[in-house]
Amino acid sequence: MNKLTVSYSPHLHTNQSCAKIMWSVFASLLPAGIAAIFIFGAAALWVILLGVISALVTEGLLQYFNKKKITLSDGSAALTGLLLSYNLPANSPWWLVVIGSFFSVFIGKQIFGGLGQNIFNPALVGRVFLMTCWPKYMTNFMKPLDAGINFFKSFNYDAVTAATPLMMAKEGKAVIDISYWDLFLGKHGGCLGEVCILALLAGALFLLLKKYISWHIPIIYIATVGVFSWIFGSKGLFSGDFLFSILSGGLILGAFFMATDYVTSPLTRKGQAIFAAGCGILTVVIRLWGGYPEGVSYAILMMNAATPIIDRYTKNRIFGR
Amino acid sequence: MLRVEEHKSPQHNLSCEKFLNPQRLYLPLSQHTGRPSQACVKPQDIAECAQVIALEDGHISARLHAPKKIKIISIDDWYHPILKKAKCIIAEPIETEEHKFIPREKIGAIGKEALLQIIRDSGIVGMGGAAFPTHVKLRPPKKIETLIINGCECEPYLASDYRLMVEKLDEIFKGIEIICKIIEPREVIFVVEDNKTEARKKLHLAFSLKKYKLPNFSLEILKTAYPQGGEKQLIYSTKKSKVPSGGLPLDVGCIVHNVATCFAIYEAVYFDKPLIERLVTFAGDALVSPKNVWVKIGTPLNELFDKGVLQFKTEPKKIICGGPMMGIALDNLNYPVLKGTGGFLFLSKDYLLGEEGPCIRCGSCVRECPMSLMPTLIDLASRNENWEQALIYGSADCIECGICSYVCPTNRRLVQSIKQAKIKTLK
Ligand code: SF4
Ligand code: SF4
Repeated sequence: MNKLTVSYSPHLHTNQSCAKIMWSVFASLLPAGIAAIFIFGAAALWVILLGVISALVTEGLLQYFNKKKITLSDGSAALTGLLLSYNLPANSPWWLVVIGSFFSVFIGKQIFGGLGQNIFNPALVGRVFLMTCWPKYMTNFMKPLDAGINFFKSFNYDAVTAATPLMMAKEGKAVIDISYWDLFLGKHGGCLGEVCILALLAGALFLLLKKYISWHIPIIYIATVGVFSWIFGSKGLFSGDFLFSILSGGLILGAFFMATDYVTSPLTRKGQAIFAAGCGILTVVIRLWGGYPEGVSYAILMMNAATPIIDRYTKNRIFGR
Repeated sequence: MLRVEEHKSPQHNLSCEKFLNPQRLYLPLSQHTGRPSQACVKPQDIAECAQVIALEDGHISARLHAPKKIKIISIDDWYHPILKKAKCIIAEPIETEEHKFIPREKIGAIGKEALLQIIRDSGIVGMGGAAFPTHVKLRPPKKIETLIINGCECEPYLASDYRLMVEKLDEIFKGIEIICKIIEPREVIFVVEDNKTEARKKLHLAFSLKKYKLPNFSLEILKTAYPQGGEKQLIYSTKKSKVPSGGLPLDVGCIVHNVATCFAIYEAVYFDKPLIERLVTFAGDALVSPKNVWVKIGTPLNELFDKGVLQFKTEPKKIICGGPMMGIALDNLNYPVLKGTGGFLFLSKDYLLGEEGPCIRCGSCVRECPMSLMPTLIDLASRNENWEQALIYGSADCIECGICSYVCPTNRRLVQSIKQAKIKTLK
């Protein structure tokens, strides 16, 4: 008899794997990317591709030079790159995308020791870095194309730009002439991956059905934002337009795809609920009283920092205690 | 709890066979929880079938009997599935014919103490895995309200308890009657999972005929889940009461007995037959066909292959004593069948192939742990040798069911390091 494997129990395993999870999340984000290409033209496609490729190259090179195992196939770097690109304007210059991806993977993830070790969502680390260094480029949002014009223009920084609905709201524009329907479909300025709510929800539904994410974080997050935006409306208490708050900005993208990041969110459902409510409150606070029109990225990053503490206080109650 | 792939077919539907004529017997002195028994024979001795060959040592211990008429060869270290190597009575059967056990008379007239004595003298231990001496369990320091009969057999692949229920249900019930006479419970609950189709039918029939004298007897069909056969989980599933951490079932007025143990009690009381045989499932894709076989305790695995009872279809990559979730991987075929072994598996590939990756904090292990522990955090603490931290996250309460490692997408060997922490924190 040849050598028998002697390993510790259990000797069975689910067919779940890290790569399967990561690539499923990746796939679930694709509808939003396709929608972005329809809305902003080929420029969006180039930003997405460049984002993913530079994240992969960064991770590969870092692992190579640190003599670590190259783990590009686990999908986590690709996902980081994809998420970063979704958080950029479609008309970003190419170097902005590359720097963002590099920063996300290097500072956001590898510095901490790689997959599973990072405290902050890598894509958001990249985004906030870019926001700090190049605010001009990060807030210069391209106007959605009118049927095919400029479709093939890439890295089109000089495109006709438009303020995002949240920017308009922040500036105190009384009437924002955009319908909920247009918000839902994404026909307005904004980061390329966040605008089309319809496509994002399709992807989210897939993840929920496949049980890769649970409803706890996204639903509680969104509900908290809705409730607080309604309470602290611009025309007095309990007058806020909660539907507008939910549909505009990066909330849907953030709630379903970034706050749910396993590595940087709490382990237990109880912890996740606290985490999500915290994200919601911080988002509204930043949107209403902070210096930026949008608060999703900062809110999630702040709650990422709180995750170890939340974990400590929300551990499971041991059976029989 | 979780539904894991069952791999129960075709074993579930295979009638039992017998293999009672091994050429060698290896009888470890430690086949139960507690102190090993002490050999009371010496090399060259001849022992009749069912003669005591090792006596219990202290209270929590169990005696050992000659499975056949044997000649003792030596008392030496031999392969032991759990202890790797352990003291063992090595013997050679000198008679191929099966000993005839004569039915005991006037069973109804035997008193409580005498019944306990018979069970103790028969060397019966819990046959569901933990192998705790049954006579100790049947003398609880507290009043038992509920007797739970465990027919769950939640480990994948294993089918020996199921076949026993299908083929020997009447005998199992007679065993339960004896237990009832000893501990006088207020109620008896017979628990099986819903994947035990044929056993369920028979149980329903027995239940509706009211053939047996059992106090407040009820039948409970649970949804199949792993590790429902664990005592704490079983009591929670049937009675909704939680055995306190560090406590015993009798703290919530319950006692759990496995169906195979009930059968052994029946044989001991009705025939004065000690625990010298048991039903074992041999399964896995490396075998030509799986089998449920009655074998003598002490039969080494290689005899089953030498005698053609089992045949390899392909070279096995892994041999497991027990079920795939909690069983122990073996490195050769010299290991013997113990009183507590319900099965052996022969797998042609290693199902836990993947390389271990970092924890991605998916939370699966935390959600699925039947003891509500924080497996990934215990694991982390254990790897950092931070035993106090491990204890805070529940290392002491781990039942080693294997669920956490089973669900982990990055193949973390959680149970292994949690067990390490458990050992360190128990001391
Ligand atoms: S920590 Fe222990 S009890 Fe919990 S799932 Fe893992 S092995 Fe089972
Ligand atoms: S199942 Fe594995 S990856 Fe998920 S939290 Fe537990 S140890 Fe980490």
